[in-house]
Amino acid sequence: MRSERDDEKLMVQYLLGNLSEEEQVRIEDRAFADANYLGALEAAEADLIDAYVRGELSHSERLGFERRFLTSSHRRNKVEFARDLLKVTNESKTAQNALLERPSAWLSLINLFRGWNPALQFAGILALLISVAGASWLLVENRAIRSRVAALETERRNLETGEEQLRRQLGEEQDRAGKLAAELQKPQSVSAPVVASLVLFPGLSRAETGHAQLALNPSAQLAHIEIVLEPRDDYPRYSSEIRTRSGEEVLIRGNLRRHRSAAGDVVSFDVPTNTLDAGDYELTLKGVGTGGSAQDLGYYYFRVQKP
Amino acid sequence: MVDPVGETRRQKWSLTQQAFDGLLATLSPDRSTAADHYLAIRRNLVRLFEWRGCSTPDEYADEAINRCAKKIGEGEEIRDVGTYCVGIARMLVLEMSRERGKEARPLDNAPEPQTMPPEPEGDAELRMECLRRCLDELSTDNRKLILHYYQGEKDEKIKKRKELTQLFGVPAGTLRMRALRVRETLQLCADNCLRGRG
Repeated sequence: MRSERDDEKLMVQYLLGNLSEEEQVRIEDRAFADANYLGALEAAEADLIDAYVRGELSHSERLGFERRFLTSSHRRNKVEFARDLLKVTNESKTAQNALLERPSAWLSLINLFRGWNPALQFAGILALLISVAGASWLLVENRAIRSRVAALETERRNLETGEEQLRRQLGEEQDRAGKLAAELQKPQSVSAPVVASLVLFPGLSRAETGHAQLALNPSAQLAHIEIVLEPRDDYPRYSSEIRTRSGEEVLIRGNLRRHRSAAGDVVSFDVPTNTLDAGDYELTLKGVGTGGSAQDLGYYYFRVQKP
Repeated sequence: MVDPVGETRRQKWSLTQQAFDGLLATLSPDRSTAADHYLAIRRNLVRLFEWRGCSTPDEYADEAINRCAKKIGEGEEIRDVGTYCVGIARMLVLEMSRERGKEARPLDNAPEPQTMPPEPEGDAELRMECLRRCLDELSTDNRKLILHYYQGEKDEKIKKRKELTQLFGVPAGTLRMRALRVRETLQLCADNCLRGRG
């Protein structure tokens, strides 16, 4: 009777195309009739492909392999896959060795169970089920207690945080009261405003409006410019440009919006005073439509005065 | 490639719906069962042609089935369609060998043995990426099995496989089949992944 090893050798010879027609027919018929033999033949094929990609075949085996295996695309795919699998197995060799040395707890338990007699296995399974049920109950209880403790802990922390906030607010209020008292005790002095203001009104023709004055004292850091709009100046956005009399650009402000002020509907913006020297300026106001197109609405002239 | 039907020499017979229905009816009165039988027969034929080194096993398998269906359509009584188809397949293999023999040429003009064509770098990377993703989708035990079963060379491989039989508590033959099935699953997954990305 042929051994498994002989069968294996015969299968390899078959796969390499080294057998007579009769022998080939015998192997094929057996493979189609016996699923185990078919499986063994497929496994032998996988091992042969692996041996090829690892370079373990002899010269003649290699030639036979290439003649038989590299002719069909399906088999070429198998060879490519074996090559990739080899790369992956090599990559994970180190990590996997560690895993192999330490089999999973479940596998060890199952292997241990396999060695017991049926009565012992039954008793073991029963004990295991009771342990699992007990452990589950303990787990649920433990989780409920933990969540209650966590809720109490959160409540305590919230109280502590609230108390700390109140203490800080009290300290701040006391500081402010002290500062106010000190201010009141100081001699009153008239300080110059840090924001200068300029309101530009539309005239009969805005181009003809007279020169408005913007007086900037040394303490003024910002000039607030407010342009009063006419009812027809209805645009979603506005932009404004300030130029010197000689046409030099000083500032451009876009994305401005209409809003209400004491003077009526206005567009306003702030200009840092250090950008404005003493002299005459021209301000252009534009209305920007929804499509982004801009329309000149008017030109305003103003004079900056500095001491 | 050798033409499975010798198309240059005679008119190719095409499988008609009527002939295919006749084939299915011979396999089983129940059409669904017949379809299962048909697929099993075709799978075996593809295997056979592949084992015999045929470059287009699917085409040859279909040709074998077509010839069988033609015989059934002509009124021939076939008891075991599977065995009959395998017989036709072996005749086709002989035809294939004869055609190859006719292509004999002086040794100096003989082609070099087939080798794997070089593939673009990107394809290899994509394949590896798919394979790694499919490996991650396996269960821990199956991943451990495939990575160890096909790891190492000669003696080292034998040692690893012995360790695995102890680890999984199964005989060597069972382990081998299990590793093969995991390998097939993995290859199918990787192929599908590649097709999805291609």
